[in-house]
Amino acid sequence: MTDHSRPTDYRAMLVALVRRVLLVSVLPLIVIASANFLLFFSLNRSIVLDQQANLLRYHRESIEAFLANLTAEVTALAHQYPREELVNGHLERLFQVLQQSAKVITDIGVIDSAGQHLKYVGPFDLAGRNYRATEWFAEVVERGYYISDVFTGFRAVPHFIIAVKRAEGNDFWILRVTVNTDYFSRLVDAAHVGRTGETFIVNREGRFQTKTRFGDHLLEPSGFPDLSFHEGIKVRSLKMGGVSYLCTTTWLSNPRWLLIFRQQVRDVYAPLRNAVVVGLLMSAAGVLGAGVLAVLFAHRQVQALKRADAENEALLRRLVATGKTAAVGEMSAGLAHEINNPLATIDTLQTWIRDLAGSPAMSEADRLEVLDAASKIGDQVARCKAITQGLLKFARRVDASPQPVLLSPMLEEMATVMRARARIEGITLEADLADVPAVLGAPAHLQQIFMNLINNALDATSGRGDGRVVIRTRASADAVRVEIQDNGPGIPPEHLSSIFLPFFTTKPVGKGTGLGLAICYGLVQELHGSIEVDSRPGHGTTFTVTLPRAAQEGT
Amino acid sequence: MTATRVLLVDDELSFSQALAKVLARRGFIVATAASGEEALARLAARPWDVVLLDVKMPDRDGLAVLADIRTMPDPPEVIMLTGHLSRQEEEAGLSGGAFAYLLKPHPIPDLERHIRQAARHRHLRRRQTTYPPSTEGGEP
Repeated sequence: MTDHSRPTDYRAMLVALVRRVLLVSVLPLIVIASANFLLFFSLNRSIVLDQQANLLRYHRESIEAFLANLTAEVTALAHQYPREELVNGHLERLFQVLQQSAKVITDIGVIDSAGQHLKYVGPFDLAGRNYRATEWFAEVVERGYYISDVFTGFRAVPHFIIAVKRAEGNDFWILRVTVNTDYFSRLVDAAHVGRTGETFIVNREGRFQTKTRFGDHLLEPSGFPDLSFHEGIKVRSLKMGGVSYLCTTTWLSNPRWLLIFRQQVRDVYAPLRNAVVVGLLMSAAGVLGAGVLAVLFAHRQVQALKRADAENEALLRRLVATGKTAAVGEMSAGLAHEINNPLATIDTLQTWIRDLAGSPAMSEADRLEVLDAASKIGDQVARCKAITQGLLKFARRVDASPQPVLLSPMLEEMATVMRARARIEGITLEADLADVPAVLGAPAHLQQIFMNLINNALDATSGRGDGRVVIRTRASADAVRVEIQDNGPGIPPEHLSSIFLPFFTTKPVGKGTGLGLAICYGLVQELHGSIEVDSRPGHGTTFTVTLPRAAQEGT
Repeated sequence: MTATRVLLVDDELSFSQALAKVLARRGFIVATAASGEEALARLAARPWDVVLLDVKMPDRDGLAVLADIRTMPDPPEVIMLTGHLSRQEEEAGLSGGAFAYLLKPHPIPDLERHIRQAARHRHLRRRQTTYPPSTEGGEP
């Protein structure tokens, strides 16, 4: 009889286990990573912005100091020498002195109060020019000193000048230097930050006052969109030419120039983005690792479970089989013993009654009655004895030595013997026997198993007229299958679960002991085989005995 | 020909008494013993040809009694009778020297045949050994 309990769905179990392990391991990972990213991002953003503001503040101070120092230096020189001394030869020396530390200025000149260029030292041919009409001349006359914006002037080259007025007697004259715009541009754009960071100066009209890192020329319009005056440092994002820049700006006090540090926003946050990418990659690696571990873990668990289940099932099967057989066997033996003893007494007394009936003192009629009664007692004793002997056979663990047995020839022989009975009862007994390998068992046991089954089949089909019993053998990979098929009335479904139990019989009282199938079951179990029944009421019954094939010897 | 002397050893008196009457009517000299101890005492007192010995008895195991009987000088043949035929016990009994090992209930005619065969067997055996000819044993 097969057990149709549903097989455990280990695959679904595996999937559920993986899902659970992943959830437990990955969810915290994601939460922690996200929190880290947010914290890291906001913290770094404020650090970056602070840093830029600070840098620009120091930078402004150094640029202002540079211009102030240069102005102070020119002022000092103007007051150190009278005009005539400079005009008559000292200016060249002065220029050399000023150039000693660095090429801070490109030229130097002395201009009288009428705007006439009295003396010029430098690369251009500017001696004799008159500056009376220029903007810067008016400014310096009015203020005493002046730092100009970048302009083109007579030389037709963008530059800016520092000019200082020196009063001498009732007259005045002006000492003017041109600042080296390359030097100044380098000073302003001292440090390149990132790939796109640059520092430069624009005037109030937004024209470049320094050359930029990326080749913008002096006096070109910068296109910087926010030229409104503001105090201190201002940081904001501005869009220029379709690109977003983080712009840090501050206004210089003199001249009124706007010092700008700008960097593409993408570039500013590039290290951050890199960190995020690395973080994401690491998280992904973590998730992947957790996934792999989850699958491995789940797989191992499910394998262990599968093994345990298999062991349990095997154990359960063994327990049921041996437990059932052993318990029933023990009970049967005890029962047989208890019945056999009184049976022996009854049988003996029955013999004694027969003996006494032989006495001549009894009437003939009485003698016949007594003998008849004794004979009936004898019959009942024989019937009881058949039961107890069947019980004992079932109980007995016969340790007959097993040997390889070829079932087909054995069944052929049995079929030949039993065809006699079949023919009398109008039953066709067919043998459909294949050339199957040997099984391991005691021939007597095997005969008993199949004798019982064939007899049952013949009983089931007797008296029908069209009874048909087929004995079939087939080989499978590691077993031999024997089928005993009949076209009898079949077994009612409610009886199917009981047919292998001892004393279960549907045959008329006195015809069956109810031990045949129980004995078959016990014997098949001992041979490590299985016995199954397939029966449909009205269509017949097939008993299938499956026995493991004997191990091949030699080759 | 002297009658065969049969000792029935069984704790179930209803059985041994009935069997005693039946066997006596068939020409045997029969006595009963209800326990292993009583059986050994009777065997020590007088020689017997055949003992019908129950296997399961309350005081002593029939197989142990068999072993004791087999150590006696000029022992009787023993037929074991049991309600519980177990292969191991049967083998132990037969290898322990029992003449036969029978399952209760055993048909009386067959039992009678076994007793006569056992008696004959004992007779032949005594002839081959150095025992003086028995006055009691032998086939009627």
